Amino acid sequence: MVADVDFWLTQFLNGLQLSMLLFLLSIGLTIIFGLMHFVNLAHGALYMVGAYAGVSAAAALGNFWAALLIAPIAVMLVGIFLYAAIIRHMRRAGPMNQVLVTFGLIFVIVDLVRIVWGDIALGMAQPAILSGPAEFLGVVYPAYRLFIIAVGLIVMAALSLVLSRTQIGAMVRAGVENDAMAACLGINVERLFFAVFCVGCALAGLAGAIAAPVFSATPSMATDILIPTLIVVVIGGLGSLRGAIAGSLIVGFIQTFGAVVMPEFASVLVYVLLAAVLIVKPAGLLPARS
Amino acid sequence: MLEVRELLAGYGETQVIHGVDLAVREGQFHAILGRNGVGKTTTLKTIVGLLPAFGGEVVLQGNSIARRQPYDIARLGIGYVPETRDIFGSLSVTENLQLAARLAARRDRKWTIERVFEFFPNLANRRENGGNQLSGGEQQMLAIGRALVMNPTLLILDEPTEGLAPIVVRQIFDKLTELKREGMTMLLVEQNFHFATRLADTVSIFGRGQCVWTGTSEALRADAELHEKWLGV
Repeated sequence: MVADVDFWLTQFLNGLQLSMLLFLLSIGLTIIFGLMHFVNLAHGALYMVGAYAGVSAAAALGNFWAALLIAPIAVMLVGIFLYAAIIRHMRRAGPMNQVLVTFGLIFVIVDLVRIVWGDIALGMAQPAILSGPAEFLGVVYPAYRLFIIAVGLIVMAALSLVLSRTQIGAMVRAGVENDAMAACLGINVERLFFAVFCVGCALAGLAGAIAAPVFSATPSMATDILIPTLIVVVIGGLGSLRGAIAGSLIVGFIQTFGAVVMPEFASVLVYVLLAAVLIVKPAGLLPARS
Repeated sequence: MLEVRELLAGYGETQVIHGVDLAVREGQFHAILGRNGVGKTTTLKTIVGLLPAFGGEVVLQGNSIARRQPYDIARLGIGYVPETRDIFGSLSVTENLQLAARLAARRDRKWTIERVFEFFPNLANRRENGGNQLSGGEQQMLAIGRALVMNPTLLILDEPTEGLAPIVVRQIFDKLTELKREGMTMLLVEQNFHFATRLADTVSIFGRGQCVWTGTSEALRADAELHEKWLGV
């Protein structure tokens, strides 16, 4: 069975699907890191909130697509609240304080979710059109998982286009590279940061809602996703879109294929890679500032 | 145009300038000279808002700017060419200029990106190149061009000749002379005595975190004792 081409192609798609979820999470985190040197460990908790928001919206409206639209907006509103209440005041507080506060936020958000939704895993129905199997290069694969891959690729392409071709993209790249000089050209970097932060939150919410039909919404997803996402950011290099793409693919595939090829070592493989990257290229593979 | 009164500033807890007074008049080329570590760059960084003023006042065309944010000060009309040039390496030459040109929409558009390319023909050949592919001289020209497309009312330059070959220094000198002839108000910090005094109408000498002398370039060149006391090595 292991020699079977179909089997490997299926694993490839599994890896790609995980990579896309990791990408949706890490892109927001890495640009926020890069632009404002702000460490937001609660980013994974926003992913969880997106899943629950999606579950509830889908249940209330009976419509998957509406839920997919509402969840990112809901998470963005949560993000705006966090920004106004906490993050704005922590901007100059230094990394240690930021890590401690946002680490604490994870537990606050997880407990709030437990109070509202309870401790059991909540499922979310896939839309009828995507609930069956589909054929991809001769392999039968769940249509919904192909949809996750497609959404990830579309977001990737859209962000690449915005960052490389538009004025606002150039402003973000300039801000990541040298925020002081960007400010001297009249760019309000703090407002730019807020806009990027909102988009990052919305993408985390989108990732959560899109993952819910496959993995269900559980309180533990806040922390489960955080470590791989942080590894993506560190491996890829802070602040860079290409780094987030490369890091997501590397971590997604290593986790997926590691679990198949050497299950005993699967859980440490990613950390070995992380250590190797940190030794060889401490700034990550494709950092925004060189 | 720009008035600095009893300005106190520095890095973190360390105060570097202790009461700087400076007045730049409209249409003037004003140079600041002084040895290393006397607070010239610190003064410029405080004027543009990158360092906080511990005390004192900075007034630009009647607006107090000492406690404003850098982006706000840039919008009020200060174009800044930092000592380290700070070209965005991941942006192309054109993108570097476009970013700065955003501001010009609300002012007279004397300086456009095309005009910068005419002013610095070297840059025109490099429009699509990344900022990190430029030579030191090209970076300096781009840094000046970037400040110009902001159509500033005051152009601030921090050691534009540092580390450049004599032929490039000559080119920069000619370009600044052209700008001066056009009536651009400029504030220049320099180590290069001849470069500065040939361009400047007015020179201020800094020593120990203060402005210790202000006068014309001619007066400074004629006063060997002054030169010896504050500028000689």
